[in-house]
Parts: sequence; C-alpha cells; structure tokens
Amino acid sequence: MAGRIAQHPILGVQSENKKIVTFRYDGKEMKGYEGEPIAAALKANGVMVHRYTMKQHKPRGIFCAIGRCTDCVMVVDGEPNVRTCMTPLVEGMDVRTQYGVSDKPFSEQ
Amino acid sequence: MKIERFDLIIVGAGPSGLSAAIEAAKHGMRVVVFDENAKPGGQLFKQIHKFFGSKEHKAKIRGFHIGEQLLAEADSVGVKVELNATVVGLYQDREVVVRMGDEVHHFKGDAIIIATGAAENMVLFDGWNLPGVMGAGAAQTLMNLYGVKPGEKILMLGSGNVGLVVSFQLLQAGCDVVALVDAAPKIGGYGVHAAKVARTGVPFYLSHTIKKAEGTDHVTGVTIAEVDSHFQFIPGTDKHFDVDTICVAVGLSPMSQLLKMAGCKMEDNPKRGGQVPIIGEYGETSIPGIYAAGDVSGIEEASSAMIEGRMSGVVAAEYLGFMTAEEKAEKLDQLNQSLDALRQGMFAPKNRGKKITETEEGIPVSESLLHKGFVADDEIERYPGVTHRAGVHPVIECTQNIPCNPCQDACKKHCIRIGSEITSLPAVEPDSTCIDCGMCVASCPGQAIFLINEDDGAGNAEITLPYEFLPLPKVGDKGVALGRSGSPVCEAEVARVRSSKAFDGTNLLTIRVPAKYAMTARFFKTNAQQKEAAE
Repeated sequence: MAGRIAQHPILGVQSENKKIVTFRYDGKEMKGYEGEPIAAALKANGVMVHRYTMKQHKPRGIFCAIGRCTDCVMVVDGEPNVRTCMTPLVEGMDVRTQYGVSDKPFSEQ
Repeated sequence: MKIERFDLIIVGAGPSGLSAAIEAAKHGMRVVVFDENAKPGGQLFKQIHKFFGSKEHKAKIRGFHIGEQLLAEADSVGVKVELNATVVGLYQDREVVVRMGDEVHHFKGDAIIIATGAAENMVLFDGWNLPGVMGAGAAQTLMNLYGVKPGEKILMLGSGNVGLVVSFQLLQAGCDVVALVDAAPKIGGYGVHAAKVARTGVPFYLSHTIKKAEGTDHVTGVTIAEVDSHFQFIPGTDKHFDVDTICVAVGLSPMSQLLKMAGCKMEDNPKRGGQVPIIGEYGETSIPGIYAAGDVSGIEEASSAMIEGRMSGVVAAEYLGFMTAEEKAEKLDQLNQSLDALRQGMFAPKNRGKKITETEEGIPVSESLLHKGFVADDEIERYPGVTHRAGVHPVIECTQNIPCNPCQDACKKHCIRIGSEITSLPAVEPDSTCIDCGMCVASCPGQAIFLINEDDGAGNAEITLPYEFLPLPKVGDKGVALGRSGSPVCEAEVARVRSSKAFDGTNLLTIRVPAKYAMTARFFKTNAQQKEAAE
C-alpha cells in the first residue's frame, strides 16, 4: 500500500500478520489494517485533511497522533468528533470529513 | 455507588508508571495501573534507537525492547494494567474517577502515583496548523508504531535529542529530511545524535526558524529565515524548501493537570518544563500518599523516568507498611546511585543553560559540532578515542561527556577505557590488540565508533561504519564516501558487510577508500543514492 514502509531496517516488515480490511472515506473505498488507528490508514492512503474548522473553515489533519490535540477528529459511522488517531479501524467503517461538527460541506449546511 | 479499593493506583503505564507498579507489586501491594491508550508502554515502543547509560540503565538496548522487558516484568509480579481507561478526576481522599468506554468508574487508592508523562510543545508560525505540520512525536508514532511514512519530504524544526533522533528515524523509514532547523545558535541535543544525521547529508540551519508553512489545504512548502540574537528575522535571509511535512520538536510539557486537580502544590518551573508539582526527593507531593514520577514532575528522559518510578513505588510501599524503613533506605540508596550516574555530564539537568567550553578532561569542545552538527576534520584528532596505529583499530568520535559506557564492556580485548565515571570520554588503550570483531561499533548508541585500517598495504584504507538503513549495500557496490559534514570526499567501494544477532540491527559496513581519506570518510552512498540526493 502507498505510504507504507515496506521493510524497515530495525522493525522489519511491520505489516506481517495484519488483516486487511475495507472502509469508506467520503464514500470512496479504501483499505487499511484492522486495529490500526483510522488516522494511520488514512495517512497511508494519502489523505491529509481530516476536517474543516467550524468558524473559519480551515483544514486540519494529524497533529499529535496521541489523542491530545483533537485536530484529527472526523465523522465515523455517523458520530462526529471521533479522534481518528486513537480509534481502531474496523471492517466496513464509514469515515467522513468533518465540516464544523457535520459531515455535510458548509454549502449544504 | 460502588467504589473499588486498591493499595496503590497508578495513572500512566509508561516507563515510570510500570516501574513503580513493579516495585510496589513485588512488595505485596495490590496495584492497578490505568492508561488511556490501547497499548501499555507509553512512548517507549516508539523508541527504536539504542539507549545511553550503563548496563544497569539497559544501555545499548533499543527502547522498544526495554518496553517489552518492562511489560514482562510487570506481568510476572502480577501488576494489573487497565487499558482504554482515562482517568478524568483525582479528588479528595484519593478518589480516582476513570472513564472506560461509555461508563465512569470510581476507585480509591491508599496511595496514588501520577505518571502521566508529557505532551509536545508547539511554536506558532504562519500556517502552523495546516495539515502536514505535526509533532515529531506524532511522526514517530506513525512510522515506528504503525509502519506509515509521515511524509516524503520533511523539514525538522528543533535540534534537541527528540529532533535529532526523530530525523534519523525518518531517514530509516525511507523519508527525505531536507533540513534540520533550530532558532537557537547551538544544537541542543547530543553531538553524536547530530553527527549521525549530518554525515548522511542532512543540512543543519542553526539560528534559523520557520517563517511560513505554505499550502492551502495541506503543506506544500516551507520558508525559513535566519534570526538575530533576539530571535528576530534578518531580512534577505529567506530559504525555501519544497516539503509535504514539517515536524516540530520544540520540547515537552508535563501533563500535570490531575495533580493540580487533586490540590497538590504546583509551581511554574521552566527548568522542569512548565507546570509541575512541588515534590520531595522521591516524588512526594504536598498531599500525603500522592506521588509524581517521570516526565510529569519534570522533563527528562525514559531511563531516569524508570528509576524515578521505582523510587516512588518503594516510597509508597513503605508509606503503607509493606516495607520497613531499613529496606526502603537500602533500595533508595541503590536507585539514587543509578539516577545520579545518569544526571552527570554536559547535558545534566544541573548544567542546563550553562556554556561549556571544555570537556571534563580539559579538551576544548568542538564548535563545529555545536553549530553545524559535525566535528570538523581539524578538531577530531584532539579527542582520546581518536588514535593512529598499524592494523585495524577503533576510532571513537565521542567528544562530549554524556552518561554512557557500553563500548567499554563491548570490547573483550579491553581496547576501550572509560573508567569509573561513566561520563568520561572513551580512550583507546595504547597497548591493546583490536581483533576487528565490531562489537564496539554495534554497541555505541551514538554510532560514533569506526574500525579503521589506515593502510592496507595497497594504498587504501578500510573503514567499518555502523549502518542502519535499507537497502543494505552489497560487497563490490561502488559509490561515494561522505565526510562528517555529509559532503562527498572520494570514491568508495564496499569491501565487507557484516550482520549478526549480536549487533542487534546495526549492520557493519566496511568501505575501501584511498588511504589519505582514512580520517575523513565516514558514510557511504551508492552512486544511485548520491545521484538521487543531488536531485
């Protein structure tokens, strides 16, 4: 998969024994490893923008990756404000860009 | 409402929390450790480099292996670790409120140890919150825990140990580090960490900082500029880089909120990293029975956090009568010695902010190392690890007093001497015989040891260097030797490649160069790699 480290000089093959699952990102089908944070799967698929801020509509992505900053929150299975860096990826998950606190672009809100 | 009681409740299953739990459980305490993450170990499992220190500090063992050892030890003494458990409150009479899933649970601990660690700091610049700007720790999490590249072309801001170590790890993950930038005029971290990054060709920009992260939806470039002694931009010094990622490593702040919430006396202490509890020698806060250990009580590093954790576990055990005062004194005495050894040298907490011009041996420090990231060719000869003789011998480019001595034990032929002070610079014993085993090269956490045969009789020198990248060059590969600065010095050919379980992931690459480059060639790139780097 793109963005993955195929072989690491110290850690070896990190994808070993991992199960590939399918999920949807804004309706588009993507693949990732079961149990990895949603954010890691998105990063590996080249997704940079996780949400747009409520007032100024500014883009935000992965920032701290350890659940502190909440920059990476998205709408997951219909629930907004899910920290994608802390939430494990599950088969069939529906992940959507968050606009303010909605999955609808601002023009449709 | 049901409240479960424990002898000891620990918040945070990182290096200090787990260490505290181990000591307490060993003495018969009923212990639980809460951690908000899905996996225990805190930040240890992201640390893939070999640790500094001496044997008792688990030196030359990679951080994630230390994490595995710690977990196994915790398991063997019956420590209970509750994961996905966020402690949201610490109230009067040591009541702990924990969110697990969608439920909130209440617990009571006769003693509490807070070991919540620290969070990364940020600096503000135009575009600092664009997607693509992330903490260096975030990059480390992505690549070392999840095997995902944080980006392809990356600029690192911050030359402390985190910035230096993560830069090297980015290179190991196959990313391109275009520059290492710091507003300070001097490199903040260990010289050996800087040197191993510099010799791969990463340029250092000291007295520079980020002016602007460019891009509309995500980072597409960055502009840095030089700053004066008041950290103001100097006009006309802008430099642009095309990057997709900017990593920021500008220090850590203790996550001490729970202690403040509990009513512990706090202080703002810049030397310890910010808001910290006022504590006694062993982490005792102003509230009896509540202790703080590790980074939450002052930013240091994982090795000292583990010792602090053990200390607080011992103190809590004695406080509740699980240990006699004599036992406690004996334990603490041992741990104190171990901690003291780590807190020595040029980077010791007591030396923070001091200008150091000479080593403990009275040798002038390398100015080039502090300002450019590498020891200059005309400075290297003055250090005791750098000597000349016929045949293969170690050349130890360790030029700062740091608490570290694995090289001394690694050499079974006693070629390397540090002595009883673990911060002393390693020296090469004049009458020793090097057998070219390579253990010193592989055991040096700073990757600062080379085995050199200055003249093989045919006008060439052979240089054995530590190599932790992929692809691993093969015997006969032709390329260029790079100097300490990362600039090409001459053509080179791979003469030998050694890998062994005993080297723990560090490969030994022997390159052949013309004899006159024996003391300047320190890294190797194949012709293809060098061409790619030039583009």
